[in-house]
Amino acid sequence: MKNTKILGLLALITVFTACQNDPLSDLTVEDSQVFITNHDESVNFKQFKTFSIVDSVLIIGNQGTGTTLGATDIQFLNTVVQQMKNLGYQYVSPKEGPDVGINVAQVRNAYVNVVSQPNPYYGNYWGGGFGGGYFPGYGYGYPSSYSYVQTREAYWYLEMLDFKNPDVQNEQYNVIWNAQIRGNGLFDGVDFDTMVRSVFEQSSYLKIN
Amino acid sequence: MNTIKILLLGLVLSAPALAQQNPQLYNLPSPYDRYSHYVATVRGGAGIPIGPFASGYVDKPTLRNYSFSVDWVLQKPISIGVEVGKTFYSQRLPRAIYQSEEGEISAVQTRTIDLMPIQGVVSYYFAKPNAMIRPYVQAAVGADLLTYSLYYGSLANQQQSVKLTYGGAAGAKFLFKKDGSVGADIRVKYNQTSLNYDYIDKGVGQINATVGLFYRWW
Repeated sequence: MKNTKILGLLALITVFTACQNDPLSDLTVEDSQVFITNHDESVNFKQFKTFSIVDSVLIIGNQGTGTTLGATDIQFLNTVVQQMKNLGYQYVSPKEGPDVGINVAQVRNAYVNVVSQPNPYYGNYWGGGFGGGYFPGYGYGYPSSYSYVQTREAYWYLEMLDFKNPDVQNEQYNVIWNAQIRGNGLFDGVDFDTMVRSVFEQSSYLKIN
Repeated sequence: MNTIKILLLGLVLSAPALAQQNPQLYNLPSPYDRYSHYVATVRGGAGIPIGPFASGYVDKPTLRNYSFSVDWVLQKPISIGVEVGKTFYSQRLPRAIYQSEEGEISAVQTRTIDLMPIQGVVSYYFAKPNAMIRPYVQAAVGADLLTYSLYYGSLANQQQSVKLTYGGAAGAKFLFKKDGSVGADIRVKYNQTSLNYDYIDKGVGQINATVGLFYRWW
């Protein structure tokens, strides 16, 4: 009898735990998008006049690296160029010694996570490791009833390199600004204008005109 | 023959005794008054955030608030029980730019918290166990399995933990019929769960206003 009661209580806990809600079920594609920007606060962007951009989109991730130049990639690059021009930068070819260079990349990662639920002791389990250290503490949210979770994420990553003030000592160009565009509907080309404008607009310090 | 006589005599002698016993039988208090018994209660209703939790994280009330309890009702005006609950708060904020150590984040925030308290409950009653209306006050303490999930767009910042939870409540039980085993329950409960994570630094305070049904047996 006692065992039955304990079993009953356990069953109830299991039912409550299994009834996980999906608070994102009504999230629109636009609302799912997250724009994250970061910059080197010691840099005054007014010193820059010209920029150039990579000729194709880089692919970074644990599934291999490479470049891609499909129709949407060209569209994305052109959108970035247009936004830079709007901020007052002048486009030059890479050979003409631009002050800053823009890298555009698609980050594509896949992970397999083994998750046993219910387990309240994982603590910050979900937060670690995603985004290659660009933005630790954030991962994708999944219903917790899954015991195996294959996570695939792909997002746009932009960065600005300082060619004007190279770090001679370490023989490297400093990244002075970067941006991530994450969420859903990133690669269908519909929202490129809005997406790219968002990351530049929230970085008001980039404006030089 | 003799046996029949004795039997008859016995019947005649015992008749008054039987007649006296019957009213006494009906005058006996109900078993719910005489014995300790059990009450199982299912409750559901509104969860209302209060205090720093409401001002700092979620202030939207929820209807996803349920609980189930089993109490051992003593002959003293006291019961001891266990209550398992489930409350889920969720609130969507319009797109905004958040400053953080990682930079500027432009996102639509979906703030949620999922609470699953398991509490020991002591109740004090202001009426007899078999009263039609039985008001009570409660004190509860236990552990809360809570999941804090803050979504930036579709990205999650999630933390699960087990925290101390405690609360106090006032309510009343209403029997559907005299001496019956089924009734209604109305309760208002204050509940506090300790938590210090991200947007929540002074715990999760809430008022749960519920209606419920109970069943009792002995």
